[in-house]
Amino acid sequence: MVLRVARSRRVRALTLTVLARSLRVRPPTVAVWWLLCVFALSPLALIGERAVAGTIRGRVELRQPPADHEPRPNVAELGMHTGHGPTDRRRSVVYLDPAPRAAFDARDEPRARMDQRNESFVPHVLAIVAGTTVDFPNNDRTYHNVFSLSKPRTFDLGRYAAGRSKAVRFDTPGIVRVFCEIHSHMSAYILVFSHRYFAVTDEEGRYRIDHVPPGSYTVLAWNEATELQSRRVTVGDSGDVDLNFLLNRR
Amino acid sequence: MRHVRRPWIVSLLVLTIVAPAAAQGIPSEPVRLFDGRVRLGGEVSATLGEKDDEAFFNYTDYERNALRTFRAALTAIWRPATRIALLGELRTDDLDRFGAYAFYVRVRPWSEVPFDVQAGRIPPVFGAFGRRAYQHDQILIGYPLAYQYLTSIRPDALPGNADDLLQMRARGWQTSFPVGSLYAGPGMPLISAFRWDTGLEARWTSERIEAAGAITTGTLANPRLLDDNRGKQVSGRVAVRPLTGLAVAASGARGAWISDDVFGAGRSHAQTALGADVEYSRDHWLVRSELVWSRWAMPFGRVPREGQNISALARWVEGRYRLTPRWYVAGRADRLSFSRISGQLFDGVPTAWEAPVTRFELGGGYSLRRNLVLRAVAQINRRDGGRVLRRTYLSSQVAWWF
Repeated sequence: MVLRVARSRRVRALTLTVLARSLRVRPPTVAVWWLLCVFALSPLALIGERAVAGTIRGRVELRQPPADHEPRPNVAELGMHTGHGPTDRRRSVVYLDPAPRAAFDARDEPRARMDQRNESFVPHVLAIVAGTTVDFPNNDRTYHNVFSLSKPRTFDLGRYAAGRSKAVRFDTPGIVRVFCEIHSHMSAYILVFSHRYFAVTDEEGRYRIDHVPPGSYTVLAWNEATELQSRRVTVGDSGDVDLNFLLNRR
Repeated sequence: MRHVRRPWIVSLLVLTIVAPAAAQGIPSEPVRLFDGRVRLGGEVSATLGEKDDEAFFNYTDYERNALRTFRAALTAIWRPATRIALLGELRTDDLDRFGAYAFYVRVRPWSEVPFDVQAGRIPPVFGAFGRRAYQHDQILIGYPLAYQYLTSIRPDALPGNADDLLQMRARGWQTSFPVGSLYAGPGMPLISAFRWDTGLEARWTSERIEAAGAITTGTLANPRLLDDNRGKQVSGRVAVRPLTGLAVAASGARGAWISDDVFGAGRSHAQTALGADVEYSRDHWLVRSELVWSRWAMPFGRVPREGQNISALARWVEGRYRLTPRWYVAGRADRLSFSRISGQLFDGVPTAWEAPVTRFELGGGYSLRRNLVLRAVAQINRRDGGRVLRRTYLSSQVAWWF
């Protein structure tokens, strides 16, 4: 990305240098000819301008990290519930809203994956662009029944055994809550965006949104357990912008 | 029959309160307290159905109509240590009073061994439905006959002879006998789904097998908090999961069922029960079936030595198919039959000591949210005896849990 920006700037600088030299050392007719060339190439120069893009990066911290999902207290069990995998509820999603126009360019149909392991969805938070097909493989020892009643995408994959997988395509932007009908403590979030300017935080809360064209944007940070926080940011020609969030518990 | 009007009022209140609340986001996860050491869950259901004060097909041992009731339950688990948990459930039906439906301690003696011990008012080991009688796990509204339908026999009153018993056919909702308590009262189901027994239970489990055993104070038909006959019930269950989605289990139980108030101490008459249950699920299908056979040693009060064994056999199969993520349809076929005895009545012809009952329940549900479900059923009952032989009920329910 950074390389692309640098290259684009070099091209522009080279063009201007050549033009200046031409104006000084060449006869007027040549200068006119160069000017014509420059005007003729100006749309290309604009495209180059659009290709200049920056990066918004930073860290999302949670003031009060949410606790792991636990099963409902079930007095009807004959013994202790077998343990389940941890749910990483600290993951947040940072995204631009609205997104630059270039974000809606047509793209190929991507695929993503949400695994079922040790009675947990992995990852717990998945961010995708609309049109993505998500695979839900069951890599557990028991049946699962993945379903969602969320408005952007309602589905029920039924019960399927270990080693099998079913897929769902998400076309409508929004937040989709995913559950397992059999295990009440299993849940996940799929955030479907109409653009590609988003990022899921890593284990330490860091995020990075690349290829952001220069301009002013509203950047939002979402976490399932906190209030949505928005910040205004301007991405200039210089490139990178640092932006940190501190999210309060809802 | 008590509380005929109240469930309607409460149900309407719940419908008007819960439905709008659903749109605003009602809790869907258990409540955590004290850094997660205490977790609370809950369940509220309001069932609107027709009256059942003539045929009493759906009367329960708590003297309520299973198709027309309001229930609220609060469940809690406290884990003071990793291998110890204290569990309890407070429950009220029709806002009468809150009672401790479950209250027990759970201990895992060895952290690496999947062996648990539970003591207190514990979940039943026998069968499957008794531990599943929660709205979040129900696919219909009514209960299987084995777990709800009241037979005519009572632990505190006994027939003097076979004719006394035959006279009470189809009168389980209010039965009376000449020996023991002289007051009329409800009889017993084969297994009560509305009370849990008190005692000690142990369970060992592996990936494919689960084995559990319990010693409790009461019996399947009459679970008790305090002992009334100094006889303990022993029950056990072994479940096998040969395939993913398939569980097959066998259960057995035996315990003294007659109160000492009838004969005084020193005599023991047992309820013996055997059961088998199976559950299979795949794709959008869920199928469950259960078979329960129960035998009571019945000492006819006037001539105890001439008593005999009476038995009952219940079997049911139920299934659910999910049509869409929100809609499902379900049905249950259920039959309860009884052994025959001979008396002077019915011209001395051996006759079933209780009137056999057949029940079909068909219905469906709609999930407003993951934990908020609307259900509606039609229940068709047929009984081979009694004042009312056939009766169809319509019932609807809203159930919410967290």
